[in-house]
Amino acid sequence: MSQVQGQKTVVFVKSLILYLFMSVGAVFVLFPFFWMIFVAVKPEGQAFSLTVSFAKPLWKNFISIWCDPSYPFWRFFINSVIVATSGGILTTLFCAMGGYVFAKKDFYGKNILFWFLLSTMMIPGMMFLVPQFAIITKLDWINTYRGMVLPHVASVFGIFLMRQYIETVPTSLIESAKIDGASELQIFGKIIIPLSSAVMTTLFLLTFLFHWSNFLWHLVVNTPDSSKLTIPVGLALFRGQYQMDWEKMMAASCFAIIPIVIIFLIAQKFFIEGLTTGAVKE
Amino acid sequence: MLKSKTRETIVSYFFLAPFLAIFASFLLYPIFYSFYLSFRTVSPTTDMFSVFTDMKFVGFSNYLRLLKDFDFWWSLVSTGYYAVLYIPLSIAASLMLAILLNNQLKGHSLFRSAYFLPNVLDMFVVGIIWLFIYAPHYGILDRILTQLGITYFAEKGVLANGKTAMLGVVAALVLKNAGFGMILFLSAIQNISVSIYEAADIDGANEWQKFKSITLPLVVPIILFLIITGTIGALNAFAEIYAMTGGGPQMVVAGKTVGATNVSGYYLFRQFERMNYGDAAAISYFLLAITLVISYINVKLLHRK
Repeated sequence: MSQVQGQKTVVFVKSLILYLFMSVGAVFVLFPFFWMIFVAVKPEGQAFSLTVSFAKPLWKNFISIWCDPSYPFWRFFINSVIVATSGGILTTLFCAMGGYVFAKKDFYGKNILFWFLLSTMMIPGMMFLVPQFAIITKLDWINTYRGMVLPHVASVFGIFLMRQYIETVPTSLIESAKIDGASELQIFGKIIIPLSSAVMTTLFLLTFLFHWSNFLWHLVVNTPDSSKLTIPVGLALFRGQYQMDWEKMMAASCFAIIPIVIIFLIAQKFFIEGLTTGAVKE
Repeated sequence: MLKSKTRETIVSYFFLAPFLAIFASFLLYPIFYSFYLSFRTVSPTTDMFSVFTDMKFVGFSNYLRLLKDFDFWWSLVSTGYYAVLYIPLSIAASLMLAILLNNQLKGHSLFRSAYFLPNVLDMFVVGIIWLFIYAPHYGILDRILTQLGITYFAEKGVLANGKTAMLGVVAALVLKNAGFGMILFLSAIQNISVSIYEAADIDGANEWQKFKSITLPLVVPIILFLIITGTIGALNAFAEIYAMTGGGPQMVVAGKTVGATNVSGYYLFRQFERMNYGDAAAISYFLLAITLVISYINVKLLHRK
């Protein structure tokens, strides 16, 4: 009897210690995030004060960021949404189409092409900065959405992810649709897309995120007076202006970060599954 | 009626067309185009309205100048320093979090989400937040440390001090990215059968022996994967440097003034910004060569098993 109780105490103490360590880990990892919010709701000029005091109303800094005429923040926000959404949709569509044929078709050059695509994943992205910029300049795509999005929608990772998944779709379904006289596009649209909607959601979210944070490219493709600046680039270019106003800077940062946090919390299953598929199941 | 494989080939390339068109024009062609540009330079006579078509051919002189440029060599050294700090620290942090989470306690999935969350956030913005945390005198980190009697950061903070700047950048990055490795480790650890651990228990193995002989060998592939992605990450490092240090602070190494965090990605960007497009293209070829050597070594290591 007492031995059972003793064991229970040991288990209890063990899990208490584990909880303690897990909480310490969470505090470390999430600290910047909480600090950003803590500072964003501070009264003007008190960003560095450690006393717990809040702006009145609490969202004052957010409003002033949003309404400042010299700092078109709403414009940055809309641009970020447009760039990330269109980048996500195009990448997902193109990669679904490509992944489908790599998974289900037998065509000339398939293996060598797939091997070749995968091998380009090792190339550091920095390598493309100068030539891509040269191409965008020649096309006269500076300060345009297409210049910001199109060079980055050919995701080899996306092809790989889609292929892995579509391989699990039963070939018999495709065969029987063919017998019923379905065209290639119908097969893709009515069988492949509905059956792989989960992985397409994953890919969309991951590429949405990639385009949302594609800082260097957005910095390079836009001139400072561009109307197409995204949030991080806007923050970078206007850093000088808000250097002393840290509470405003943090309020602006919230707009870059909190939408992503919300998306993550709603759809984290998709994020985590996608990343583990891409990395481990090779 | 066409031969079936011929027909399949036509259909397949029709489906692949959008992807391949983008891939060819914005990824494949740039690799060659960059090579072409690396032999050219923007000269005073270059027409500024069509810079890229009007660069002057200079042979290997971009490459030769880089080989003689101390800043270039330093950028490689500091990239190496970045990688040597980042890779082991992030692997250790990821593995620690994964081991912590490998239990069935109530709420463990909540902690898993918390650890993974920073991973999806924008690097530049996170860098700005850290800039604020690391600030001297007013920053929260220095204030806490001063309370504890450590005044080392009181004057320059973390990022304006050549000795600690890189460590500060890397620490921010490790905390941001640890959740990614953690997820990979966690899925590997959870694939290990419980019966193996139970057998070890019967043999009287302690926790450390179990970790060393059972867990560690099974997560080696993931460690290798994280080394590869960490290396590519070091060669691509940009947004974190741009946000936190701008390549600085200045410090003196071997009699020359260099930027303590001027990693190769940032150095390439600076050349680009000054319109030294030829040099920037040549740097990217050096980086590609380094990547190929490192991947070759990694592949050799993987195949040895």
